[in-house]
Order: sequence, then C-alpha cells, then structure tokens
Amino acid sequence: MRRKVLIEVLIKTGNVVAAMTVGLIIGGLIMQAYGYDALHAYYSLLRHAIGNPLTDPYPLTSTLSLATPLIFTGLAFAVSVRSGLFNIGVENAVYLGALGVVLASGFLKADTPLVLVIGSLMGLSLSILFALVAASLKVFRGVHEVITTIMLNWVAYWLVEYVRVNVFPDLRDPSKTIPVPPSARIPLLVAGTELSVSIIIAIIASLTTYFVLWYTVFGYELRATGINLIAAKYAGIKTSRFMIYSFLLSAVLGGLAGVCEVAGRPPHYSITTGISNLVGLGFDGIAVSLIGLNHPIAVIFASILIGALNSGVRGMQIEARVPFELVRLIQGVIVVSLAMPGVLSTFRKYLSIRRGRMEVVS
Amino acid sequence: MGNTGDTGSDEYLVLMKNIVKIYPDGTIALRGVDFTLRRGEIHGLLGENGAGKTTLMKILAGILKPTSGTIYVVGKKVVFSAAADALKLGIGMVHQNLSLIPSFTVYENIVLGLPRKQLLNARENINKLMSLTGLRVPLDERVEVLPFGVKQKVEILKMLFRNVDVLILDEPTTNLTLTETRELFNMINELKKMGKSVVFITHKLREVMEVADRITVLRKGRVVGEVPRAEANLNLLAQLMVGRNMISATSRETTTAGEELLIVRDLWVLSDLGTWAVRGVSLTVRSGEILGIAGVEGNGQKELVEGLTGLRRVEKGEVIFRGRRINNLPPSELYKLGIAHIPEDRTLMGLILDFTVSENSILSIQRSTSFRGFLNTLVWGRVAEHALSLITKFNITAPSLSSPVKYLSGGNQQRLVVAREISKEPQLIIAAQPTRGLDISATEHIRSLLLDFRKRGKAVLLVSSDLEEILQLSDRVAVMYEGRFVGIKNVSELTEDKLGLMLGGVSD
Repeated sequence: MRRKVLIEVLIKTGNVVAAMTVGLIIGGLIMQAYGYDALHAYYSLLRHAIGNPLTDPYPLTSTLSLATPLIFTGLAFAVSVRSGLFNIGVENAVYLGALGVVLASGFLKADTPLVLVIGSLMGLSLSILFALVAASLKVFRGVHEVITTIMLNWVAYWLVEYVRVNVFPDLRDPSKTIPVPPSARIPLLVAGTELSVSIIIAIIASLTTYFVLWYTVFGYELRATGINLIAAKYAGIKTSRFMIYSFLLSAVLGGLAGVCEVAGRPPHYSITTGISNLVGLGFDGIAVSLIGLNHPIAVIFASILIGALNSGVRGMQIEARVPFELVRLIQGVIVVSLAMPGVLSTFRKYLSIRRGRMEVVS
Repeated sequence: MGNTGDTGSDEYLVLMKNIVKIYPDGTIALRGVDFTLRRGEIHGLLGENGAGKTTLMKILAGILKPTSGTIYVVGKKVVFSAAADALKLGIGMVHQNLSLIPSFTVYENIVLGLPRKQLLNARENINKLMSLTGLRVPLDERVEVLPFGVKQKVEILKMLFRNVDVLILDEPTTNLTLTETRELFNMINELKKMGKSVVFITHKLREVMEVADRITVLRKGRVVGEVPRAEANLNLLAQLMVGRNMISATSRETTTAGEELLIVRDLWVLSDLGTWAVRGVSLTVRSGEILGIAGVEGNGQKELVEGLTGLRRVEKGEVIFRGRRINNLPPSELYKLGIAHIPEDRTLMGLILDFTVSENSILSIQRSTSFRGFLNTLVWGRVAEHALSLITKFNITAPSLSSPVKYLSGGNQQRLVVAREISKEPQLIIAAQPTRGLDISATEHIRSLLLDFRKRGKAVLLVSSDLEEILQLSDRVAVMYEGRFVGIKNVSELTEDKLGLMLGGVSD
C-alpha cells in the first residue's frame, strides 16, 4: 500500500521531469535558431535559480520567495478544480487581499502590527465578497464561473487602480500606493533577501488543505461534488452548498497571496503601478495547479519549479544576453510543456465522462 | 460491387440478410436477423428492451456496422461506413433522443450541413414540403423553445428535406401527448401515400396495430415473427414479444406480508423535458414483500424512483413512509428514516468511479457517526474496517481497498453498491435495474441478497425491465406504461399472455 503510493508519486514526478526536458529542448532549439547559445543560457538560468546557496543565498531565496504566492494561488485553483469548478477569480482575490492591507495602512495611519491583522481581514472579506457574487450567479442562475470571474477580475483591477491613483498614492513616489508600515510587515526569514515568513504560512496552508480534502467529511463531500455531481446528490450531499464553499476557500487562499505579497515582499511593501507586482499571480496558479495535478502537496513543488524558472530567467537575460521577449517565449514553452500531463489527464477525464454519457444514450 | 451482390429481386426496397451484431464488450445484440421493407410500406418493429430493434435499425442507417450479414438496397448490395452513406441512398433515422441544436432556429437546423447549392431555394422548398406533408413547424423559432412534439416534427422534416425514401422512427411516441401521437400517425400515412417507406420501432401493441402494414417481432436478437396486420392481434403480438416458458416455478419462501411501509397516492412527477413522466401512480409496499414494477424502459420508472428517493421533485400526490409524509424530503433525510436506494446506473450514480473502494463504501453514509472523529474528521481506519467487512461478507473481489472502483468488474461494482445499501440496515430498499448488464453469478448473488433481505421482514420496491427478474423475485407485480400502472397483480395470477399485453399497454 505504502509502496504503491511511492511508485505512483515517482511515476508522476517522472512525467514532470520528462515534460520539463521536452520544454527545455524546444526552448533550446528556438534559442539556437535565433543565434543564442542555449547551453550557456540554461547554465545561467540554473545559476540564478539555485546557484551555490552556501556562498550566495540570494538565488535560492529568490526562487522560494517567488514561489510563495504561487503556492497560495495554486492551492486556490486546486481546491476549485477538486470541487468541479474552473475558478479564474483567484486573480481578483489576489488584488483584493492586497488592497485590504493597503486600505488598512492608509486608514489607520499608525505603525502597529494591528494594520496587518485588520488589513488581512479587510482583504479577505473583499475577496470573499467578490467570490460570493460569482458563486451565487453560478448556483442560483447557472452562469458559468469562467465568465463571471473574468469580468470580476477587471472590476477588481480597476477598483485597486482607483485606490492606488486617487485614494492612497505614495506621495513620494506616485507610481505606488503608500507602503505598509514597518511593524505591520511580515518578517523576513533570511535577512537581506526577499524570502519572508510567508512561505511558512503557505506551506501550512498546503498541509491544511491536504488534510481537509482527504481527512474530513467536508473534504470527502467537496471532492465527491467535484468528480460526480449526480452521485454526490445521490449521497445526500448538498452540492450547491459545496460549490459556494469552494468559491470561499479559493477566495481566502488567493486573498492570502495578495496579503503576503504586499505585507511581505521588500522593497516596495505596496501595490505598484498597473498592479504590476500582482498581475498574473492568479493565472500562474492555474499552471502550478495543473503541474501539481491539483494536489495540495505537489502544488508546493510545482510552485518552486515555476519560482525557479521566474528567478532564473533573469540570468538568461543578464549573462547569456537573451532578449526579454525571447526569454518570455521560452518561459512560456516550458510552462506549457510542464502543464501538459495535467492538462492531458484533466482532458482525458472529461472525455471519458463524455464518452460515458454517449454510451448511456446509445 | 458488380452484379454478384444482386438479389435479382425488386420486390423489396431494403433487404437485410442474416445480420449479426456483437458489441465490443461481447454482448450479442443480433443473432442472424432477416428484415425486409417494401416501397410505400409502414413496417412495425416490435420488441422489448434489449430485443435488438434499435441496433438493427442503426445498422440500416449506417450508424453501426454489422459484425456479419449483408444489406441490399433496391437489389444492390451495399456497405455503409457512415450514416451519410445511408442518407445518400435515402435512408434516414430519427432517434429517440433528438439530435437538434437547441440554440439554432428550425430553419438553421433543417439546412445544417447541406451544400451551398441546396441553400438557394431552401426556404421555399421547405415550405413546399410542409404543405405537401402537412408537417407545419415555425421556421424562425429557436428549437429550444419548442415542445418535444414539434422538435420531433423538425427532425422528421429534416430527413424528408434530404429526400429520404426510408424513414426510421425509433420509439417516436415516447414523449408525445395523445394529440401529438395522432398527428404523427396521420403524417406517417401521408408519407405512405407519397410512396415513402416507414419503419416504426415500438413496444406499444396498440400503436403498432393501428399504424403498421406489416409487423416484425424481435426477441433477444432473433426474429420471432413476421405478420401482416390483417393476421395480427394483440394476444398474438404480446405472446411473440414476451415469449413462452418464462414463468418458472420460483422457489421463493413464503413470508407473511406485514405492515404497510410505503404508501404512495396519486404521484405525479415531471420528466427532464417537462412532460409528465409519472401520471398518478398509487402503490403500497408491505414489510416482508417485494413489489416488482415491470415495464419497458422509458415509461416513467426512472422518474418514479427518483421521485421516491428525493432526487426529483414530486409535483402532486403523497408519499408516506411508516406513517410519515416524506414528499420531497432530501435524500439524506430519507436514508435516516430507513430507505436505501440501489440506483439504476451504478457508474453514474451509485458509485464515484475515481473514488477508492473504501471511499465508495461510505458514499451516502459519510456523515454517519461511526466514521467520524474529532472535528468531523474521517477516521479512515474505521472506514477501511467497514469496507473490508462488506468485501468479505458479500464476496466482492477488489484489488485493494485503496484502488479506484473503476478497476472493479461490473459485477463487483454492483455487489459493492448492494452491500453498502444493505449495510445501512434499512426497512425498505428501492432497487432499480439491480442486475442489468451483470453476468449470471453476480445476477444470482444479488437476487438472492434481495430475497434474503425480504425474508428478514424488510421490503423491496424492485423496478426492472427484466421480466424474468420481476417474476423470480416479486410477490406482487405492477406494470408501468406511459407513466401509469396498467395493473397490480399477485405474481401467482399472472400468465405470460397477460403480462405481455400489459407491457404493451393493454389492460384487461
């Protein structure tokens, strides 16, 4: 039994490694085609993603700090997939979580840890509020969550931009909001780096999510709802209620990503222009969740992988002089290949359900 | 091709010879069937569930490929590789589940997929066709807003617009009202006058007698009779359809039926299409007895079961269980009161295929305190114990407790469902098609479990389209037809003739 689990984990890890290799090869071929030294580029990617942690902790801590928000958003998306939803609203949860902390900083105008507490509560309430809009439309009116959450993402985006420009801009540097006061910041884990205690919160969130999904009646009913709605109803599960719960959980996890980004990442400790320090974290969570096959523990490792890529590509630009656009392209190729096993298995499941229905009909 | 395949006879428009169909999973649907169709003939194809009617016609329409056998159209041997091939030769089929695009208009649905050339005067031509056949449909209305009967007309019109000479209708009256059925029959007669041939697949005796010129009866993949209407009568057809030697002396122990556990009065339930599927059913189930509900599928049994188990709204009527009104209670409440449910589709409803054996062993009892620990945690140790006891007690073969149930055989999956439901210690089990698709040993095992359950003074409401099963297990039998009971009888009073007539919708 134990051995079986181990074998399964190994096979799945093997899939990821194989997919990564394919991505790296395709990326390498593209670089060669454009006349850049692919080996040198990948070597500098590795140096900037990991380096030698004993002499220079920066590359590794940078990787881990970039992974932190992705753990949250990856988890948020994994929970939604497990309950049968495709909740893209994780993106707006990130914005709103961050907004809460900024609002608290602006309103309280005091250098106290209370700002973080009240800010988190405000941020999470906001993201829950938005999630409830999508959830009620889904449950009571049957509106597909992809449509509503994409639209809500824009509502949240402009709401945050409005606050950044008109309500709490940093008067010394108007491209940002006012910073979080020092005593309300999440402490750094390694001094002089960007790695904060947030990563520990993220890992605790992963373990908790795992426990809830597989070791509680709540998790059982949530997963049942996600895999087979008809069987879940047969089992007496109030499925609409669990869809709402799933939206709420995703909102809280996504909101935490936003809180930790603003309260825990030097040097800005604020929302920057165009929300540039937050945009895309929710969407990257989808990739992370797919790479981790929607498993809360695997999401940690998938986040670190993507974090390493994000951290390492800086090296590709600086050392191997690969232009930014090409770097982004190669990053895209690698992420797509990494996500393929997850996409395929999700797709296969969908197909088998479809096929099942066809057989029933014929 | 050449002339080698010709039959040399123009008597038949369609001639199917010695058609055999074995499905990939080994099910033998047709065991050498001959079928003929004349020009301008309405041919009734009669049979129970699983007789092979639909399979035979899907082969003629090019949707399925026969395992062996040959098809001749106007004397020429043909091999279809797709429905489009059959359509080219003028053979079109209208399925029970219509294949229209709901958000398109009627017009768009009719011309969908036609080459550009035919679109030029399409609207005019459709209008002509409508006045010729008397099939009137609103061309610019979206299909989704139309009632089922009109949708069916659209589908028929779509076929006629493609110039079919042979129109196959699969159980066309299932979802129709009486007036709509009448209109359909008039239309079929119009088509006949135009020289078209119609194949009418059905299990309804009266309808086939009314509309068909010739009737072919299928039973278990064989032709058991081919009669012109002039020589047919209800009794003959019923006998052919159901067959002899079916009622065997059953070895059920007699039990004395006790208190009335479940009382249903004048129950009305809607179908997914919004039509009445259950139209005023009344029944009682007493402890210590099995009430069997027979009937060809699609006569409202599914909706009846879902209505009684809290999965579908009861619109009118009363459901009383042990003296308590239980109309529209949620499933979880019904389970607590002592009702268990073996659903008709184990892969879609009874089990979650991706869940493990352990996880499935508590589906619907996941909230029971015996598996719950501190803070609503699931104590997997106790779940595993429960699963293991089911496996040993009910002889279930499974690779391990942690393997997904999709890796279990159909028989073992169903054993798991039945075991779980019996383990709830209910007073009443509502069992729908409990042995469908299972091999003999699993079938016997599950039937003996149900009989054993009855022997312990509990009750079973058995819904099955398998007559043998109904007769083997039931103390009393009701036959469901078009949403109503044709009659409730003690099993000893039943003869196969009577049962055959009831299945075909004819009461005494």
